[in-house]
Amino acid sequence: MEKLIYLYGIIPAEENDSSPLPSLKGLDGESEVYSIPFGEIEAVVCELDAAEYGEKELEKKTNDANWLHQKAFHHHEALMKLYEKYPIIPMKFGTIYSGAESLKNTIDSHKPNMIELLDGITDKEEWIMKIYCEADKVKDAVAGHNETIETKKEEIASMSPGRQYLEKRKLNQLIDQEAEKEKQTFSEKIHDELAALSVDNEVKKNWNKDVTGRVEEMCWNSVYLLEKSAVEDFISVIKKLQEKWTESGWQIEVTGPWPSYHFAKIS
Amino acid sequence: MSQRQEFENKEVGLIDILDVVLDKGVAIKGDLILSVAGIDLVYLDLRVLISSVETLIESNKKTAEKLSSKQFDYEKEELDRVIHQS
Repeated sequence: MEKLIYLYGIIPAEENDSSPLPSLKGLDGESEVYSIPFGEIEAVVCELDAAEYGEKELEKKTNDANWLHQKAFHHHEALMKLYEKYPIIPMKFGTIYSGAESLKNTIDSHKPNMIELLDGITDKEEWIMKIYCEADKVKDAVAGHNETIETKKEEIASMSPGRQYLEKRKLNQLIDQEAEKEKQTFSEKIHDELAALSVDNEVKKNWNKDVTGRVEEMCWNSVYLLEKSAVEDFISVIKKLQEKWTESGWQIEVTGPWPSYHFAKIS
Repeated sequence: MSQRQEFENKEVGLIDILDVVLDKGVAIKGDLILSVAGIDLVYLDLRVLISSVETLIESNKKTAEKLSSKQFDYEKEELDRVIHQS
């Protein structure tokens, strides 16, 4: 039975000629990672046993959170090692071909696109920024310094006790709404500043606390494609923002450089 | 020193793997695309898994403390005192 082929990513052929692939174990922990040349580009792959990684088996495996965790980390680590040496188009975790012929057909049909993409990402880096906020601090700040709320408070003070109770409850809801607005405006402002330094950017979805496992709330998640020459500027803006805002309950975090997971798009 | 060194290649957490590796990456159609439906759900499982391991380690540490010789000596002294008093 023919071996399955797991595809990690695509690198330029000339880069691989001048600096050989790092020695890496494949997804199953046994096979070797190697590259298959396709003219100007090369596919970095490993072989997988069809009996163990066939469709049904794979489905079973992905239902096992532990397996998924381990293998997703493996995929990422392999890509990071490759990314240290080459520009790379990173594949989505779990891209598998039934054999060499099938991989060839796919690569052939996307080749011009891939060459162009590699060219486009060579001098660029992908960085991710997340803003977490301490919701209570934001709420307190909003309750203390928001004009709409100040006016409302004054109105309430002149009301009868019975009405005051109801109106205070409404006021709390208003504070919540204003705090949400504040999170959005605050983050957008930072995003705009960073986006101005980037070649491309994308606002991603926020993950909830169950997923992040953090006390602070994620209120912004975005990714930037930067010219290598702009990275220092990007980082110093981040540092300044961190110094300025951490105390008020805003945690601005960056990770990178990542292989171009977000901006290497193949249509 | 360049400032980027402070930030680059920090340890990658669960959330990053979820956010990037499982959720993103170029998808050109493979013959088998591992479909991880409901990534959030998978990650909830993972978090539970990890925190249960952490709890296990934590409780092992506590047990280890209880079994430590220091604790043992202390208990022995206590016992001696009780015996002598009676």
